[in-house]
Amino acid sequence: MDLLRHLRFFDAVAEHRHFGHAAAALGMTQPPVSQGVQRLEQELGQRLFFRDARGVRLTEAGGALLPVARRLLRDAEQLMTLAHRWRPSGQVRLGLADDLEDKIPALLTRLAERDVDCVPTVSGTVELVEGVREDELDIAVVRHPAVVDGLAAGPVHTLATYLAWDDDRPRDAELPPMREVPPVVVPPRRHHPAAHDQLIDALRRLGHSGAVIEAGTLIERQAWASAGHGVRLVLDDESGRPIPDLPPLRVRVVTPLPPDRRADVDHETLIRRLEAALS
Amino acid sequence: MTGATAAATIDRAAADVGIQAWVHARRLGPDLDEVTRGGDELVPMASLYKLPLAACWSDLVADGALDATERLRVTATQRAPGPTGLAALLDDVEVSQRDAVRLMLSLSDNAAAEQVLDLVGLDRLSAWLTTHGLNRTIVRRGSRDSWSVVVEETGGGDVGEAPRRLANTDVDVQTSEYNALLASATTAADMVTVLGRLWEAEHHAMVRDSLRLQAWRHRIGSGFPHDDVGVYGKTGTLGRLRHEAAVIEFPHEHPVAVAVLTKSARPETHQPRVDAAIGAIARAAVTVLRRPL
Repeated sequence: MDLLRHLRFFDAVAEHRHFGHAAAALGMTQPPVSQGVQRLEQELGQRLFFRDARGVRLTEAGGALLPVARRLLRDAEQLMTLAHRWRPSGQVRLGLADDLEDKIPALLTRLAERDVDCVPTVSGTVELVEGVREDELDIAVVRHPAVVDGLAAGPVHTLATYLAWDDDRPRDAELPPMREVPPVVVPPRRHHPAAHDQLIDALRRLGHSGAVIEAGTLIERQAWASAGHGVRLVLDDESGRPIPDLPPLRVRVVTPLPPDRRADVDHETLIRRLEAALS
Repeated sequence: MTGATAAATIDRAAADVGIQAWVHARRLGPDLDEVTRGGDELVPMASLYKLPLAACWSDLVADGALDATERLRVTATQRAPGPTGLAALLDDVEVSQRDAVRLMLSLSDNAAAEQVLDLVGLDRLSAWLTTHGLNRTIVRRGSRDSWSVVVEETGGGDVGEAPRRLANTDVDVQTSEYNALLASATTAADMVTVLGRLWEAEHHAMVRDSLRLQAWRHRIGSGFPHDDVGVYGKTGTLGRLRHEAAVIEFPHEHPVAVAVLTKSARPETHQPRVDAAIGAIARAAVTVLRRPL
């Protein structure tokens, strides 16, 4: 049995003195919680709760075991936090917005050339900002605009975008007018709601319908485009074609505020190198 | 819905459109009942200063210190610029004090607001805020001077240029008017207190009526699209700041005062998604406080 999981049920029922309320607090239905407590009672060989007309009460054994169970849960949580945050000293935890797509390998190569030792996390902007706030990342390149209050945010970089059909259309073929362009395949809106909405408004401004397909991974976005059902916004003019007034990808570097930064990372130099690699 | 689920709904709605939101709501009835989400945090207030200004003016009139029907001459050359009301006119006009208050509230008319602020004065307004328990609210300047600050900080020139500069999508444009320690500032809870004062006293009837006439229904009003529900609101807008404080009156229920102050990640002037989110946030906060009379 998953001891920690069942201890969590024990803890919740002891706190709420009610199986239904405990289940609600755990975000579950009541039957698995009741069964879980029964299994725990079998495993421990002790009755933990009385159930009678007055509700649910701890038994003497339950009362004696509860503090130990809670200590175990606290320790487990601490273990996860520590494991999550541990890193070799000096190694930078770098977050990169997944919209940077094909640019990411070159960006990391440029950082390596400048002696920046980093472990990359590629994700959506909302998650990256949360990661920097929660001390899971030391620095991140995120989409602008985003809510970045409480963090240090650098200047906005505008990276030109191009429209790419990933089918076998000849490169010199004439582009259809924007209103006839198929939906644009983009990362999911929840990655960066404000920036996503801004893109849709810009597409509509250009005469496009504003229809988009939200696809979670680069390979999925490429697949949609290859199937001829969507076009992609790309950052290189090799695979994409320039469209006047197509909005750029706007990104910026965010870090914790100086007092919240890791002592073993030289953030000033790091920021300078990342900004240089972006421009 | 409980207070806790209202808070979760507020957080979700705010995250979904990329805004920070500070929210406070209170039932204006016999029992104190509130919903708050950062309601005590200081936020730059934009045009919301016009709300306590109107309440203060109304008290001064009731005390006989000002004459509501006195006529004011507002000349085309001297009045504050703005997109609505007297501020948008071409020629000299004459209005009564109370009509200036009406224009200031129903259209957020900057020229009319400047007249009212001149009549009341920042000192009397500060004293009024203190007397009425609005200890967190500080009005440092009116709209005209706020915009002068923005113009100066964003590159000078014409005041008409300033909103466009704030709306630049390629740069994170900052101004001290976004800083609660430098701009006129309030809390969502303080705005609810002002509304509470306005709903307490009979002599504020004209002010309440002017709030009902507010021309905009795109923010809090969008959360209550019911013809029989009264929405008495005042918006405040400056760059990325979008606020509204309003009293919602369902028939046969206690009125509920709600303030939703927001700062958006996007800088654009027109943001219907954010306006609609303010309506959804207000609805979430008000719904848990609704009680029959």
